[in-house]
Amino acid sequence: MHRVKNIEYDDDDLYAEDEEADGEEEQAYTDEDRQNFDDLTPVVRAELNEAGLQASDREIEEALYYYYWDVVKSVVHLKNTRTSRPRQQQAKKEKAKSKFDQAAERSASKTGRSSSPPLPAAAWFDGIPWSTVPPELEGYLIPVDPPRARSKLLGGSSKLAKLAEERRKKAASSQTAQPVPDTRLSSLDRLSKPKDTKENVLPQHMKQEPKKYPIRKKRELTPPPKEPSPPPEEEPKEELPNLRASPTEFACTLSTPTSQAARASSMTLGDLFGSSTNEENTFKGPSPDDTILRAQQHSKDNAKATKQSANGIAKKTEALKLDQTPSPATPTQPKIKSKGLDVPKLWVDGKAKRKPAAAFVVIGHVDHGKSTLMGRLLLDTGAVSQRDIDKYKKQATELGKASFALAWVMDTGSEERERGVTVDIAQHHFSTNKVDFTILDAPGHRDFVPNMIGGASMADLAVLVVDANQLESGMKGQTREHILLAKACGLKRIVVAVNKLDSSSPPWEEATFKNVKDEVTKLLTATGFATEDIAFVPCSGLNGQNVVKPVPSNGETGWVASSSSTLLQELERSASGNIAEATIKASLRMQIADVFRGGITNPLSVSGRIAAGNVQVGDSVVIQPSGETAAVRGIEANSDGVEWAVASQLCTLHLTDIEPQHLRAGDVLCGASKPVPVVKSFVLQIQALESILPQGVDVHVGRLHASGSIAALITTLDTQGELLKKKPRVIKAGQRANVNVTLSDGGAPLEVGDRVILRANGSTVAAGKVERTGS
Amino acid sequence: MRLIKQQIEKKDGSGSATMLPEEPEDMWHAYNLIRPNDLLRASAIRKIVKESAAGSRSVDRVHTNLTIRVTKLDFDTQASQLHVSGRVAEENKHVTLGSYHTLDLELQRNFTLEKAEGWDSVALDTLKESINQTAKAQLWAVIMQEGLANICLITEHQTILRQKVEVSLPKKRAGSSDHDKALQKFYQTTFDSLLRQIDLADPKPLLLASPGFTASSFQQYIKTQAASGANKQLHQLVPKITVAHSASAHLHSLSEVLSSSAVTSKLSDTKFARETQLMDRFFDLMRNDDARAWYGPKECEAAVERGAVGKGGGVLLISNALFRSQDINTRRRWVQLVDEVKDQGGEVRVLSSMHESGKRLEGLGDIAAILTYPIENVDEEVGDMDGGIDDLEDEPDGTAVNGIEGRSEAHEDIEI
Repeated sequence: MHRVKNIEYDDDDLYAEDEEADGEEEQAYTDEDRQNFDDLTPVVRAELNEAGLQASDREIEEALYYYYWDVVKSVVHLKNTRTSRPRQQQAKKEKAKSKFDQAAERSASKTGRSSSPPLPAAAWFDGIPWSTVPPELEGYLIPVDPPRARSKLLGGSSKLAKLAEERRKKAASSQTAQPVPDTRLSSLDRLSKPKDTKENVLPQHMKQEPKKYPIRKKRELTPPPKEPSPPPEEEPKEELPNLRASPTEFACTLSTPTSQAARASSMTLGDLFGSSTNEENTFKGPSPDDTILRAQQHSKDNAKATKQSANGIAKKTEALKLDQTPSPATPTQPKIKSKGLDVPKLWVDGKAKRKPAAAFVVIGHVDHGKSTLMGRLLLDTGAVSQRDIDKYKKQATELGKASFALAWVMDTGSEERERGVTVDIAQHHFSTNKVDFTILDAPGHRDFVPNMIGGASMADLAVLVVDANQLESGMKGQTREHILLAKACGLKRIVVAVNKLDSSSPPWEEATFKNVKDEVTKLLTATGFATEDIAFVPCSGLNGQNVVKPVPSNGETGWVASSSSTLLQELERSASGNIAEATIKASLRMQIADVFRGGITNPLSVSGRIAAGNVQVGDSVVIQPSGETAAVRGIEANSDGVEWAVASQLCTLHLTDIEPQHLRAGDVLCGASKPVPVVKSFVLQIQALESILPQGVDVHVGRLHASGSIAALITTLDTQGELLKKKPRVIKAGQRANVNVTLSDGGAPLEVGDRVILRANGSTVAAGKVERTGS
Repeated sequence: MRLIKQQIEKKDGSGSATMLPEEPEDMWHAYNLIRPNDLLRASAIRKIVKESAAGSRSVDRVHTNLTIRVTKLDFDTQASQLHVSGRVAEENKHVTLGSYHTLDLELQRNFTLEKAEGWDSVALDTLKESINQTAKAQLWAVIMQEGLANICLITEHQTILRQKVEVSLPKKRAGSSDHDKALQKFYQTTFDSLLRQIDLADPKPLLLASPGFTASSFQQYIKTQAASGANKQLHQLVPKITVAHSASAHLHSLSEVLSSSAVTSKLSDTKFARETQLMDRFFDLMRNDDARAWYGPKECEAAVERGAVGKGGGVLLISNALFRSQDINTRRRWVQLVDEVKDQGGEVRVLSSMHESGKRLEGLGDIAAILTYPIENVDEEVGDMDGGIDDLEDEPDGTAVNGIEGRSEAHEDIEI
């Protein structure tokens, strides 16, 4: 142990020129050592001389001592050292400046054994010639430089790393001047133990760092804001598009003159704070949807929000979140709670405030201008913008059907537009100051009469469009049939629009109108419409004369202005919107007119007219004939969400807890307590329009289109409903009779009093009401 | 159906006939020929359980010819299969007399039929008709409207509904293409179902009928599929498509389609054409409340009794459902009526209850007559006898009295 200690001290003591060190060294060698030196030094020297090398006694001694009196090893070592002698010496000197050395010095000074006075570290370098550093030594400084490791931390961008490298090199080259003192003293030590160097020169380094590093630290300061910024950039990147701009804004703030800086910086600050709050909320938020909604909202409010403090925005986003939660939260809560509203009471209470509402079906022969007239009505009431019409006009012109542009408001189907024929009912809503209207535009073509029946069954009144120039075709065709069907569907009031008066020859001739009026009145009264329920309006749908805007009271249309009101005025007059309270309190009945996908949030929606009763959100309903139950999760009337709806309203119900295959157009949605029975056969009291035999028929009940047959003719009746003949062999056109109707496949939801229309071979053969239902 | 051998006495109609059914339609004829109590001999597979002295049992399936006395018939329209149940009437080494067996008549296997009551005129007519090789018209029809398509096979004697496609289509809606998408999907479904039914290697004429332009759109769809798809055989189908108009997609609209000129020119079914013509004439007379047209069993019998259905335009339209009666006397009654009309020189048309014309007749009580002179109040005369058509509640009773076995003739044999 003792030896080891000695070795260390010897090692330290092998100074080159230091007297003090020498002194120490002398003390370190024991007598035994000296004895060995004396014995072995001549041997080593002889060996070295053989190899042609010179070595001082001291060197030899040193080597011997180092290699533990091993002559061979010492010789080899000395031979090797001969070639790089100066360095070796330097290295040894360096070691001398190690910690141990200092400790030894201190202890020596304390004990008073050391001859040298205690010096501060800086004083060591006093008087050292700075320029004497051999140039090759400079290279060793670079790997030693500790800041290099730190520069690597910058990592991310290679450009930055390069820049840092350059900077570091520069710094290193400038540093060379300072570390020199060490080099001269202990370059060897530096080579082997760079850490010591640092510790050795610690005071000086401490002084220099403030000089050296501020530059670097400044460089490093710019990246740090970047490092925290990635999170807001990564996550709400898409949700908060405006936040992207904030760094640039920030940058602007940095570079803007102080006069502008106040404003810019405040904005940036607000954004930054806002983003941070958002970031937190992103994790708290219930769903990504919510975040998007909030983000959109946030971006909208951003201008305002930026002016507020961070807290304010946090509060605001919190508030928004609360607003938004109900809708995304609903899927997680499949059970929709009914508010248990007393709908009939609400309806009565709100009666005074409400505008009357009316749905009217537009009927008439094909190509008499029903859809165009409705397009005009919507355009002139402002329900459709001129811009849309212009767009349609352009598209229609491309198809060579420029005159159909207005009809395209109603005819949205691609096939309808291609062929210029309405196929299915189009529903459109518009409001005037007095009344809320719903248009049901029916197809005029005979093949689509089933759709027209569906539309007529949902309406309160009818608008019959008659082409003044083609009265005859209509009277034979669908003008007649539609009038019959409108009556059969229970419509009481009818407004007749005598259309295309502008293109008659001569235009706007009163006689033409009179003629049409007489003919149609005859037909209507024969069908059973009361004269006071019939109104006539001369108009032109294509040009919009007397539809919404009154015609000029002079010129050819003078008689129109004086004798007739516009179509819209006539409609407003006809809209009563009165419904008995008893109907509203009855059990719910709503025939499904359409089953569709209402959107992402409402995957299953049905629309139709509530025939009786009322419905509110959360109600449980039964669908017949499938017998499945469903829950109402939302109600829409005129594309506004409402809490409840009552009889006579056209509305859309968003359903849940039911599979779509249980819903078809024509099914009846009814209250769970009293569902409609599903029947296969029933007795129908009919008014025959053609002679009827037991035969196959299409059975129409509103939207329901089923196949069935007249199984038996039971009785014929006279106008008073008195029995004429039992078991007639035929029911002649115009007769009233009771017949037994059987449905072919499955049953249909039918009740006594339902209006049924029977058709065969493309024409209506009979219409009537269910008298009693069988199995 | 081929007649292999017949030994029928002209005098009393006794004797037997051996026939070879060749196509599914022949099963329909066999169904109309074979009556309960008839003797039917056909090949059969019988499971024989043998028990050895040691008590071990072995089950053998034996091919053998069996003669049974028919008790029950079951006709499967979809698969065109006829199952005849009865008791073994001739013993052989495998089966004992009186044990029960159900024969499944098979195509390309002979069967021999011996009538218990002898071959009557209607049976002989049916036999003649069934072995007539000339008229073998067949076509496929898709009768459709938006959201509903009925795919049927129309043969000379039957209209068989093979597949019904029903899809709930959302209605048109501004700003939504759901309707168009659903419509395309509906065409796709119908097309796929159709391809599963028809044999593309030997395409029969295909008739598409609908109100509006659904049928022509569907034809366009098939053409596009033929042009774009890899199925080369589709190209052969395309020229065989006929588009016609129908009032609706329901099956009863098919009579309108089949009588349209577009179809009759393609369908060389003279029998059907004549029947349709007669039915239309009958309905026209009825509409005009002409007393020369009468329908219903009692009324027609009364008219025939008075000799009104005779020479000079008298026509008796009768559905073959009436001849399939379980009750021998009922059948005899209708056969006698037919014979009487023939004797009087009137025309008798036996309409297939499975065909469109027969279906129209079905509503009228399966029988109708066009008289040579008007007879007023036939119904009042027969009214006392509780005839013809009845009120809703009385209907089952009325049918029993009339001996008509309800309208669902497919199940008639099950109810004994």
